[in-house]
Amino acid sequence: MKAEVLKGHLDGMLLACLEAGPRHGYAIIEALRAGSSGQFDLPTGTVYPALRRLERAGLVKGTWGESGGRRRRVYRLTPAGRRALDAERGSWRAFSVAVSGLLEPRSHPATT
Amino acid sequence: MSRDQVIDGYLSQIAARLPGRGRTRPDILCELRSGLLDATDDHQGAGLPPTAAARAAVAEFGDPGQVAADVRPELVATQARRLALRLSATAIPLAALWIYAAQASDAGPPRASLWGWLAAPPVPLAAASALIAALTAIVATIAIGPSIRRFHDRPRLAATAAALGATSVAAIDLGIIILLGLQLIAGPDRLSPVPVSAAAIASLARLAIARRGARHCLAARAGPPDPRSLPDGAPKPARCKSP
Repeated sequence: MKAEVLKGHLDGMLLACLEAGPRHGYAIIEALRAGSSGQFDLPTGTVYPALRRLERAGLVKGTWGESGGRRRRVYRLTPAGRRALDAERGSWRAFSVAVSGLLEPRSHPATT
Repeated sequence: MSRDQVIDGYLSQIAARLPGRGRTRPDILCELRSGLLDATDDHQGAGLPPTAAARAAVAEFGDPGQVAADVRPELVATQARRLALRLSATAIPLAALWIYAAQASDAGPPRASLWGWLAAPPVPLAAASALIAALTAIVATIAIGPSIRRFHDRPRLAATAAALGATSVAAIDLGIIILLGLQLIAGPDRLSPVPVSAAAIASLARLAIARRGARHCLAARAGPPDPRSLPDGAPKPARCKSP
């Protein structure tokens, strides 16, 4: 899937990856790949700046920790991030229903 | 070329395009390095030799110019926030110093004309210090706190606000110093030497901070340097420190 298409939804997808619990940047990238069955393959370098942007917006909180002998910045959802994720879900469902209604093959012929 | 050299070379290309001082820049580069090493480990686990694994990780990361462009807003916002914090942290102590200096100085006999009243040491010094404190509060409000959240996608705006505010603060500081110089010529015996000297030194220091901060903010918001102007041996990004 094209990176440009994904970018508009990246924030919501990143927030969704953190819903189950805190993750570091590379674990989020792996979750994006796994959750999309490999369909979402963004340049990985775009994920880290996006996480910083979400942090600046107060939607996630990043803290440094160490695991496996390596420093990693671990992100968790803030209460504002959870609210933003809920809002994103709601608007995506409405959008998805509307687009499906237009793109899916119609079962009945159009009236003239 | 070793695996570390591949990663260092890639990070250097990003680092050369990033503005900023303080902790945020190395902090971001450290996070990128950590992600690249994780990706390299994955590729090695899948059977690639170390250097090829690092090259694959770098290729997945994307164009270094694009990564730097994505990171820049964070650094520009940090510059604006740092300048606003510095200005606001110095506002109250500096205002207190000038008000004390004004009170310790002799106002002289009551003046008949408006200019005579304004030129008496306590009034302009105290008024200017209060003006600086108020202006700094406005700068801080614009460049940090709620507005940085509201404009989190517009850090260049915050940097512009911080730079303009700092320039105004510097101009007022300069105005106070000039006013002080005039008062020294007109009636030096009316000024209390120790408090006035202390306040003047503090104002000069703050003027330097505001001027330098404004310059950094304007440079950060101006955009990355032309890649053709980057030195061949780009600087090595800082190694991550232990937590």
